[in-house]
Amino acid sequence: MRTGLGATMVRAGGRLLSSLPALFGVLVFTFLLMRVLPGDPAVFFASGPNAGKEEIEQIRKQMGLDKSVPEQLVFYLSDIGRGNLGRSMMTGQPVLKDLRERLPASLELTFTALLIALIAAVPLGVLAALRPGSVVDHGVRLFCALGVCVPTFVSGLLLIYVFYYLLGLAPDPTGRIDVFTSLPPQHTGFLSIDFVLAGDFEGWWAACKQLILPAVSMALFVIAPLARITRASMLVSLGSDFVRTARSVGLSWRKVVVTYALRNAILPVITIAGIVFSTMLGANVLVEKVFSWPGVASYALDALLSSDYAPVQGFVLLMASLFVLVNLVVDICYGIADPRVSIG
Amino acid sequence: MRFVSFRPASSVLAATALLLIATAPSQAQTRAETLRYVTGASVNTLDPNIPGSTRESFALSMSTYDRLVAFGRKQLNGKWVFDLDKITGELAESYDVSPNGLKLTFRLRKDAKFQDGSPVTAEDVKWSLDRCVTAPILGKAQLLTGSLTSADQFKVIDPLTIEVTLPKPDKLALPNLATVYPMIINSKVAKEHATADDPWATAWLKEHTAGSGAYVIETFKPGEQVIVKRNEAWNRGSPDKPAFFKRVIIQSVPEPATRANLVERGDADLVVDLQASDVQSLESKGKLKVISTPQYNSITFVSMNNQIPPFDNVNVRRAVAFALPYDDMFKAALFGRGAPLFGASWPDGKPLNGIYPFQQPVKIDLDKAREYLKAAGLPEGFSTTFSFNVGQASTAEPMAALVKESLGKIGIKVDIQKLPDAQMSTQINEKKLPFYTEGIVAWLPSTDYFYRNFYTGNQRWNYSSINNAELAAIAQEARFEPDKAKYEEAGRKLNAMHFDLMPQIMLWQPNQDAVMASSIEGYTYEFHRQVDYRDVSRK
Repeated sequence: MRTGLGATMVRAGGRLLSSLPALFGVLVFTFLLMRVLPGDPAVFFASGPNAGKEEIEQIRKQMGLDKSVPEQLVFYLSDIGRGNLGRSMMTGQPVLKDLRERLPASLELTFTALLIALIAAVPLGVLAALRPGSVVDHGVRLFCALGVCVPTFVSGLLLIYVFYYLLGLAPDPTGRIDVFTSLPPQHTGFLSIDFVLAGDFEGWWAACKQLILPAVSMALFVIAPLARITRASMLVSLGSDFVRTARSVGLSWRKVVVTYALRNAILPVITIAGIVFSTMLGANVLVEKVFSWPGVASYALDALLSSDYAPVQGFVLLMASLFVLVNLVVDICYGIADPRVSIG
Repeated sequence: MRFVSFRPASSVLAATALLLIATAPSQAQTRAETLRYVTGASVNTLDPNIPGSTRESFALSMSTYDRLVAFGRKQLNGKWVFDLDKITGELAESYDVSPNGLKLTFRLRKDAKFQDGSPVTAEDVKWSLDRCVTAPILGKAQLLTGSLTSADQFKVIDPLTIEVTLPKPDKLALPNLATVYPMIINSKVAKEHATADDPWATAWLKEHTAGSGAYVIETFKPGEQVIVKRNEAWNRGSPDKPAFFKRVIIQSVPEPATRANLVERGDADLVVDLQASDVQSLESKGKLKVISTPQYNSITFVSMNNQIPPFDNVNVRRAVAFALPYDDMFKAALFGRGAPLFGASWPDGKPLNGIYPFQQPVKIDLDKAREYLKAAGLPEGFSTTFSFNVGQASTAEPMAALVKESLGKIGIKVDIQKLPDAQMSTQINEKKLPFYTEGIVAWLPSTDYFYRNFYTGNQRWNYSSINNAELAAIAQEARFEPDKAKYEEAGRKLNAMHFDLMPQIMLWQPNQDAVMASSIEGYTYEFHRQVDYRDVSRK
């Protein structure tokens, strides 16, 4: 068993280094994939009422498409090496700047959604596992099935219809903050944190209100896998020898379920939560669209539809890096939940 | 087992319930003086001249910059639309056209100031117009259509007078100066940010403005929103006073249903790009003002590639023209919201006038269509693909299904092909699509302009790839025809040829549906198909 924070950090660093070849592979693959997709971005962007051949050539040059593919790849890799992800034709901004501005929005939304999902799913799963086959179990199953079979944009539009349009409870579903509220000085990019740092609680509440509906519609979609995995591993855990022993020595019911059974059952939940988080980041594009959320996923989709190469490549690279990071965090959480496991 | 409860879920509900209380009343005062405009696309550059700029960028630049002249407005069926024939001064106090039509002289307003307080001079005008015809920007191709091609044509006479010389009397020269691109830039500021590689400061002007317009940029977040505030010193509007709204928020909301909800709930004041079905339901509820104007400078059509068999045969094209279920398509795609360009009656078989676009005497007539197919030597029909782009799916998809069904009845087998926008434009540019639907817009809708740009040459906008020397010659000659009667005659000839050759089939002019709070007034349909924020006010 390895001990000490230092050793963990060293190992984590090693893990990050060893993922570099994979990231490089992703980089090259995305680059080539974008080039073989049909559709000439220069023609698309030169779509004004009077853009002729000359304009198309000019855009092609601007995007570096006038060179051969291997040449482009070399330029692209050297740009990446210098931390330059290129420029987006859509927004006219450097991709790095766009991503840096939009990533906190996506992360804030995804974290909140995951938190809501976990808070709902773990108790539901435990509840179902404690009484397998009962009405409660079936109820949880029904709820999960409903959540997972209703696509996020449908639940999003439904939530908007009910809470905004009919009841008028929610603020208008556009963006991260009411357009009339002034933004706090940016520290983390997470509005819910920045407002607290600025001491503006009215603003904080306004930001949270905007966050609730999109986060709930995303959470509904991922409650099912989390609750099901909790239920399954709780069942195993509850049926194991140590729980039986704990019960037989007369420990309190709460201690048995929470300390012994749940603690052991939580490992797979952490794994799934990590995977769910990574997929949510990319898959929340529909939620971002429905709620006009200025996140990275809707940005990448718009870029893809208009064959805007640089943002798509930047987005894929970002996702790959996040995936590596999330996996690492999951492994570290594993180590905390069960000290016998170490990252290696 | 008591410890598990729905506490988390119920706390979410409680939180949502709390929203009722927390609506902010403090914003009420500023709200009346603010226009909140929601749109599907976004402003991606502050200089509309940058290749790839969106329509939203065009509209914004109309308010942040002034031009020498502007279009007037007129009523069309009780609705305000821009008036191509009435050109008024914007930065120019007055202008003269010399009797031979070769010299345009503009006298600038003495009181016109840029947003930084410095006066607008003829030097700035010259620099801006030079930039438009010299720099590698979109304005170059546009001004070309008005015979404005070289910096030598612009001459400073004195600090408040500038003269434009034309090689030929071109009726589109003056209107061109009222379009989006030839905006007047503060040349001193722009020059400070020019570099050796970029002498026209295109990179800097993309993210900054240096204009004299009615609004000043407050915040600019590409892809999200732009907030502008009123320039109190601006007095170029017709009643000589600053624009009505103190602030304008231009916000991107990609989901059309959400845009409809926002305007219905009163959170947004104005929206132009809703789905036809939403507009219809909002109109029927009667709470909002809906102003529907046929986009009289735009056309939706079905195009056939005149160089690819079997569409190179005129009888095949005629057969298709008489086999389209026009009324059903119009209803399915637009809910009938627009002006049809089919079903005309030409009593003596000749065009009614020389204006393009015009209503063609076509309607569904399958027997006639079969005859034309037989005449083309294809009595059994043929197979082809019908393409449209994803961006237009909401209108093109139902249309395509009807085309397929109807052409099937005369033996033409149609495969529907839905293409991503970038792929569609590439294929159009390479002239590879045999049969598809598209839409076109012209800022300066005159007959010769349409025919020259959309029916001649081997360029992208010649969608049908028609190559007819006579048509091209008439259109080219008409451009410089000063005599109104002769021009009209040329137009009639062109229209008659259009019907005879049937290079492509004009379908309709879709409506621009502007939905707004009932308190909003002054909305005008503009050539750039967006809202000019200077037009609108609140009662």
